[in-house]
Amino acid sequence: MNDHEVIVADRPLRECNRDIRDGIDRGLAVRVIDTRSRHNLGIGLPSGARIHFEGSVGYYCGGLNNGASIRVSRNAGWAAGEAMASGDITIDGYAGVSLGASMRGGTIHVKGDAGPRCGVAMKGGDIIVEGKIGYLSGFMAHAGRIIALGGADEACADSLWGGEVWVAGPIASLGVDSKTEEPADDEIQQIETLLATRGLDDASRAWQKIVSAQRLWHFESRDANAWLMI
Amino acid sequence: MSVFSIQRVHSMCGIAGRILPGPGKVGEDLVKLMHAQRHRGADSTGFALYGEPLDTGYIVRAMVARRHELSQVLELFLDLLRAHGSDFLADPSWDDATTDHVSVRMMIREPNSLDDWIRQVDEHADRIEVQSVGRSLEIVKDLGGATEVAEKHRVHDFIGTHGLGHARMATESEVSPTASHPFWARPFADVAIVHNGQITDYFTWRARLERKGYRFMTGNDSELLAVWISDRMSQGETQNDALIRSLTEIDGVFTFLYSNLDRLGFAKDRWAIKPLVAVIGEQSLSIATEEQAVRTVHLDEVDVVNFDGPSLTRTWQTNVSLDRAA
Repeated sequence: MNDHEVIVADRPLRECNRDIRDGIDRGLAVRVIDTRSRHNLGIGLPSGARIHFEGSVGYYCGGLNNGASIRVSRNAGWAAGEAMASGDITIDGYAGVSLGASMRGGTIHVKGDAGPRCGVAMKGGDIIVEGKIGYLSGFMAHAGRIIALGGADEACADSLWGGEVWVAGPIASLGVDSKTEEPADDEIQQIETLLATRGLDDASRAWQKIVSAQRLWHFESRDANAWLMI
Repeated sequence: MSVFSIQRVHSMCGIAGRILPGPGKVGEDLVKLMHAQRHRGADSTGFALYGEPLDTGYIVRAMVARRHELSQVLELFLDLLRAHGSDFLADPSWDDATTDHVSVRMMIREPNSLDDWIRQVDEHADRIEVQSVGRSLEIVKDLGGATEVAEKHRVHDFIGTHGLGHARMATESEVSPTASHPFWARPFADVAIVHNGQITDYFTWRARLERKGYRFMTGNDSELLAVWISDRMSQGETQNDALIRSLTEIDGVFTFLYSNLDRLGFAKDRWAIKPLVAVIGEQSLSIATEEQAVRTVHLDEVDVVNFDGPSLTRTWQTNVSLDRAA
């Protein structure tokens, strides 16, 4: 079946997204070219849609994804996959700040690094980052998993409420109210099985599993000093 | 006091910088960079443009508050120049727009003391406000979007080596040319700043700097940053050292670009809230809040550096002719 090609360039964004929708409605795979790091491309796409952005995209690409399979050939700007409910986003390059913010389900796979606040406030789903996750990643996440194969920058999993951050590689520092926990063998097996579906088999990884220390669950204002980072 | 009333400023804005390998259409590139970020602030737009530096004297950019007073104000300005051993080097020029305020460009002989002269000129800031002084620097800023401001002030035609741009969304203060970016750091010739963020210990630092004799024309925290960095450099710090120091001594969320004749740099705070991306060439630089902006001057696929992390600084050498600038 032929692809449906959409050229972004400097065209009005609404027009580009309408063209993407037209291709999806016709059951075609959509190739989006000359993307020029434009914002808000491919928002709220439905299950069954297949979109390939052949270039870098700007902010919020794949936001509110509802089942679509999205691939970005180069980098994605801030908040790719924000609030997605289901589906799959693959970013071949770097993903900017707040990747998968508030996502509820689905999988985001980044082949490069991810910027600060990766998975901020996420409520479910998986974020797999082959490189490193940035400063404050996992901040205030409630559920879901962040899996980083190349380490984590400072304040990792700060104020984590729930969910898990899995890191293979060095962690610059943990944030407040998070702790490392010895992972069970079956948990490691689950992670490795998930990674194997992405062609990321490597049984030799040493995992650090980070979870909430749960002090925030019992927060009282008289303990406020405990939350100061600086 | 300035031409317009002063209030504290907080903003969510778009910033940009450009370095060319040599003199070229830096104005045109900055207009593209700012037009692509117009959604970040449509209240006003400004440009800090660095042309080939004068061998002697300064270029002054100023705003006269009321067009019908222009000739009297220029006479007053000339009197003040002569009182400080200076004079016009060429006839002043000004915009022919229909707005009441007028943007004026003047070339002047160096006053005996730039600090003393500008201090006296600023006593008349309700009639004429100097917006930049430099061997090379020209700041133009006005109400409206990038295209509108650029057309009014012929920014597209400007030939130079480097520059800054700013699109302002004023969230707590008046909308006026005076309150727009970029800001000059008086009395430091050729210094300009554009800023996206908010300095939370503004009043503390302002009081400290005022005790050292510095003066501010606005209540804008960005103007303070320009003077703060320049003050540190006047004490012998390099631009990058001063930028690094700002990360620990200045409180707030900020990303700003600071430029003088020979270097352009940035500082980004410890919280990593404000975006910044760049395309870095061997002798060139395009830097902006948003990646889609730098791609308007780099249409081919290029590697974009994302300065997404906390506590970052970097500076780049400009390609101004330093023999002439010396």
